[in-house]
Amino acid sequence: MPAAPTPGSRLRLTALLAPPLLWLTLAYLGSLAILLLSAFWTTDSFTSDVVHTWNTDNFHELLTTPVYRTIALRTLSIAVAVTVVDALLALPMAFFMARVAGRRWRRPLLVAVLTPLWAGYLVKAYAWRVMLGENGVVGAALAPFGLHGPGYGTTAVVIVLAYLWLPYMILPVYAALERLPERMLEASADLGAGAWRTLRSVVLPVVRPAVLAGSVFTFSLSLGDYLTVQIVGGKTQLLGNVIASQVTLDLPMAAALSAVPVVLIVCYLAAVRRAGALDSL
Amino acid sequence: MQTQARATTRTGPAVRLEAVTKDFGTVRAVDAVDLTVHEGEFFTLLGPSGSGKTTLLRLVAGFEQPTGGRIELAGDDVTGTPPNRRDVHTVFQDYALFPQMSVEQNVAYALTVRGVRKAERLARAHEALTTVRLDGFAARRPAELSGGQRQRVALARALVDRPAVLLLDEPLGALDLALRQEMQTELKELQRTTGITFLLVTHDQDEALTMSDRIAVVRDGRIEQTGPPVEVYERPATAFVAGFVGTTNLLRGEAAVRVVGRPGTYSIRPERILLTDPAEASAREPAEGSARQSAESSAETSADGRRTVTGRITDIVHAGAHTRFTVMLPYGDRLIVHRQNLTGLPESARPDGEIGLSWDERDAFPVPS
Amino acid sequence: MRKRKMSVWRSAAAICALLLTAAGCGSGNDDDKGGHAPDKLGKGEGKVNIIAWAGYAEDGSNDPKVDWVHPFEKKTGCQVNTKTAGTSDEMVSLMKTGQYDTVSASGDATLRLIASGDAAPVNTKLVPNYKDIFPALKQQPFNSKDGRMYGIPHGRGANLLMYRTDKVTSAPDSWRAVFDDAARYDGHVTAYDSPIYIADAALYLMSAKPSLGIKNPYALDQKQLDAAVALLKKQHQAVGEYWSDYQKEITAFKGGDSVIGTTWQVIANLTKAEKAPVKAVLPKEGATGWSDTWMVSAKAEHPNCAYKWLDWIVSPKVNAQVAEYFGEAPSNRKACAETAAPDHCAIFHAADEKYFQRVHFWTTPIKQCLDGRKDTDCTDYAQWTRAWTEVKG
Repeated sequence: MPAAPTPGSRLRLTALLAPPLLWLTLAYLGSLAILLLSAFWTTDSFTSDVVHTWNTDNFHELLTTPVYRTIALRTLSIAVAVTVVDALLALPMAFFMARVAGRRWRRPLLVAVLTPLWAGYLVKAYAWRVMLGENGVVGAALAPFGLHGPGYGTTAVVIVLAYLWLPYMILPVYAALERLPERMLEASADLGAGAWRTLRSVVLPVVRPAVLAGSVFTFSLSLGDYLTVQIVGGKTQLLGNVIASQVTLDLPMAAALSAVPVVLIVCYLAAVRRAGALDSL
Repeated sequence: MQTQARATTRTGPAVRLEAVTKDFGTVRAVDAVDLTVHEGEFFTLLGPSGSGKTTLLRLVAGFEQPTGGRIELAGDDVTGTPPNRRDVHTVFQDYALFPQMSVEQNVAYALTVRGVRKAERLARAHEALTTVRLDGFAARRPAELSGGQRQRVALARALVDRPAVLLLDEPLGALDLALRQEMQTELKELQRTTGITFLLVTHDQDEALTMSDRIAVVRDGRIEQTGPPVEVYERPATAFVAGFVGTTNLLRGEAAVRVVGRPGTYSIRPERILLTDPAEASAREPAEGSARQSAESSAETSADGRRTVTGRITDIVHAGAHTRFTVMLPYGDRLIVHRQNLTGLPESARPDGEIGLSWDERDAFPVPS
Repeated sequence: MRKRKMSVWRSAAAICALLLTAAGCGSGNDDDKGGHAPDKLGKGEGKVNIIAWAGYAEDGSNDPKVDWVHPFEKKTGCQVNTKTAGTSDEMVSLMKTGQYDTVSASGDATLRLIASGDAAPVNTKLVPNYKDIFPALKQQPFNSKDGRMYGIPHGRGANLLMYRTDKVTSAPDSWRAVFDDAARYDGHVTAYDSPIYIADAALYLMSAKPSLGIKNPYALDQKQLDAAVALLKKQHQAVGEYWSDYQKEITAFKGGDSVIGTTWQVIANLTKAEKAPVKAVLPKEGATGWSDTWMVSAKAEHPNCAYKWLDWIVSPKVNAQVAEYFGEAPSNRKACAETAAPDHCAIFHAADEKYFQRVHFWTTPIKQCLDGRKDTDCTDYAQWTRAWTEVKG
């Protein structure tokens, strides 16, 4: 128990904490509450004006219309696929950065990984649109092997989202690997383990919470994305697109639809929390 | 602990280093070291921090590869062989236990890696834990253990599959004094019962002297002296060894001439000097014809080969079993004197008191400088 | 400590209540919808915020020669801020924000904006060029209510069928190419990403499946809507991507990701300008199309500049410029004398009312059938929206 704060420091602390707390309450929880509330309203189908009549039609429609289930499942699978791809890419990359590359290469490598975050989201997505197009470099690079580029569609969405969110996965994994004492690896080798065995028994258990922490980002960001899909998704539509198109016409329905990713993310966070990943955030 | 002989046939010493050199950039950590550790020996590399002793150990373990020279284990050239293919295990200074594994899993790791069946694995892990008196802790995590217990787990982990050589890197450094002394005995005992070659690295001369069959004193990447503890202590080959192993009074230049009677560098262990009554000392007649007094010498040699000198006590430190006196000699040098706290002292043995010092001429032995 | 916590929670509750009240105040009273038309104009406010279709408010940034925004700014001192919208739905939602003064609304947006009160009636006396607008465009159901005009007609045109001449070898003359024959261009068909595109399918069914009895592609009963949806689902298999952003369609045709699909003349022009081998045609079944109206927001902050813009955009010269650039028929009959291509008005049938009978202007489908049927209910836009989500799957 720390020493009791003096009245003056308490006042200061209150003054210091009040604005962010207020902001959190107002901007975040407040908007979430209104969003959820408006899902129980309805709209005038002609003028798109919100009609404040309490009903559960939106949720009823959401749960009974097969197309929404299809879209929700597709969105979920894409988010999972992006997370898996990012984890598979981030592990060797972060390992190289934290363990293989020399100390003076670490910073440049870290900067290189972070640089894409500084470029505009749309710029990157459109760059991928050009690369993945009919005459893009991806197709050209695969042509000699008798393969076609993925074109626009779900594969392209997974590729681009995985690219966009990769830094969010690499960073926690890199941090975990950097914290892993060199002695652990030496001890494992010393006791007769080869590289693969050491990776499996010593490195992965340490990295697992970090991967889960990174997956919170890749999963939730993928779940909410709708711009990348519009740019490289071809005719694919995800929850985000349906919400975006409904927002202009039927705000309450859009709100009800928004509840789906919110619920999915809450479930995911709960699952991940059990695995202890939130400790490394 | 299993005691049956290992399948490998031994054709050479447990560890042999031949002109091994290791550079880190422009820094030479190990400089052309030749070293032989015999099978079943408790061998210690003793040296101050930064002397290169840990690098030597890591070279043997395979964590570092030498810049030049050759390393042999049991006669096989292992230069360039990765650590996992060397029949040695290491007990790390910070133990390096795997935090996510239980004590049992930690101990059994070397067996798991080799694909030993689970039943046998567990049996041998428990055997190893019993050896270090930690049975009953198998299910715990390393974080739930005390420092001493972790140390034992690290030992059990390294001994579980009976390596040819056990490397110990300052294994007792993190323990408190009482535990350290207890573990010294235990380690020695463990080495004796298992018959495994121990190669220990330490900066603690007590540890080295207590446990080792042989000691190599390391300094600046080179070995200054190799030999049994008694020899290293009693007959240090260099002034550095004399100073580093045990406490010593080093006399060189004018001090040597005045006190020892000859030019050169001499070492006198503090416990070899006796405190005597100053009056008695000065009353002693110099022996006729023996050890002629040179003009500068302020000490005298008696007929029984003892030299005597008088000085003034400037400091007295009571250190448990013995008391440490600092005595200022008339011309300015100081001598440290250790005296067992057994019997009464001369009356003048008090701060600022005049005191006589006497030692056997042979206890002032020359060291190369 | 307990007391402090209580007060925090209490204030949080108060804030929430406040937010809810504010949100609840969204719907106004129905009586005073749409505000009033002004009797006379004042000085310009120095600024006007416009929602426009691509190509309607060009300031030279796409093509330095195509610029009627800067001359307007110079003449009136009203700085123009343009927001380009991709669909009518987007226009409606943008207008609801109240941050814009005027919008180039198509028929499927106009009625919704009038009904919701987001658009104000327009005093046509304050728009001198109104007198030269083709009479056939005045006082139409999609731009007026109770005999009052809610905007100034801008122009009209048809949605065309665009194709890559190098990939589509036999020149199509029917919408069949993107419906029943869509599989030929598997993965490279494109379509307009809006529920209103259902009307394109309905239009094709009018001639391809007369037994359905579709008279007006915006008046579909449930059975007719189902047929259109089934057709669109079939088309979906061959669709590479849908477009609502005109830039996206340009890059898709340029790169060859799309080779055939619905378009606007302006997009065809811009794609050609990018050196892509494309052609746009009006298929024999006729087409859906638009008749656009510049409306003024009921909450306009800069009504004077908005009126100046209305008059400017339908003035003969500018109206001619826009019509030629976008590829549509001008609304001002004097514009026909100002076009760079002397036969523009003839090509785009500016005065040819018979032609425009084949073009079905976008309008909002409502429950009451627009084709006059009384025996059945038609599907409304909300149903179309749901159907469209389902088509895209």
